[in-house]
Amino acid sequence: MTEDNMELDQLFAQARQAQPALSDNLAVRILTDAEAVRLERLKPSAPRRSVWARLVEGIGGWQSMGGLVAASAAGVWIGFAAPDFLPDPATILYPEDTSFAVANLGLDTSFLEDAE
Amino acid sequence: MEDLTSLPQDVRGTECAADASDDALLRQFAEGDAGAARALTDRLAPRCFSVAMRMLGNRTEAEDVTQDAMMRLWKMAPKWVSGQAKVSTWLYRVTLNLCVDVQRKNRPDRLDDVPEPEDNDLSAAEKLQEAARKDALQTALSQLPERQKQAVILRHIEELSNPEIAGIMGISTEAVESLTARGKRGLAAILAGRQDELGYEDD
Repeated sequence: MTEDNMELDQLFAQARQAQPALSDNLAVRILTDAEAVRLERLKPSAPRRSVWARLVEGIGGWQSMGGLVAASAAGVWIGFAAPDFLPDPATILYPEDTSFAVANLGLDTSFLEDAE
Repeated sequence: MEDLTSLPQDVRGTECAADASDDALLRQFAEGDAGAARALTDRLAPRCFSVAMRMLGNRTEAEDVTQDAMMRLWKMAPKWVSGQAKVSTWLYRVTLNLCVDVQRKNRPDRLDDVPEPEDNDLSAAEKLQEAARKDALQTALSQLPERQKQAVILRHIEELSNPEIAGIMGISTEAVESLTARGKRGLAAILAGRQDELGYEDD
């Protein structure tokens, strides 16, 4: 067994001396990978956007938001003080007397009368 | 006099890459230092390739495993916790696992490296002789059970310490000693043409 071991030890020594070299091609492949990973990591990640910011963007940006705000304000103003030439929205939606309509549904409307 | 050693690694720069630990280089790479990748490649890739070459006995496969193992190192860099283990230990383990994967893929129906009986004894003997002329050790290694082969390569070719091999293989140092001893006996038997003495039991 000692002879076997000597032979083995010689083979191990040879193997250690004849370590296979890394080819230039492989070194380039490895460094290309490293560079790709490095650059990927350095790339600024897109900042997290708030729900509000994304909503504004979806509508069409701040300019559109301005238009939307103006239109809403006009609507509120018309609601408070409708010009004479505009019909009363209440009569368009509910052309009949509302108490009559409720009574016609056959519901108990006594509570309405009590309220009056 | 200011104590320069207390300065963080990135302030001192990468010109001392040769002295820096693998840990420090890996951190520098994670912080975006390309020079650290080169230093780590110079230092670790040859060891990784050498083990893969001995495990697989095939240059193309060993190169692919090395590239794959190093790729895992680059991706793992930001998560590395300094001081927990050696980078080289981690990389050796990844390399061995990748080699096992390659071997399984090549031989999906075989659990181990036990040579199958050849139909034609003459041609088998010729093939063995031819291979032996090329690299007797490699031929013998390829006939060892997987874990014995790993232990023998790390101990006698990579010249790692038993505790380090234990860390790589995830076993006790006693188990490493047992594996290397059995591996050496197995190799000696194979080289002496006494394959019949081989025990294929593995851990």
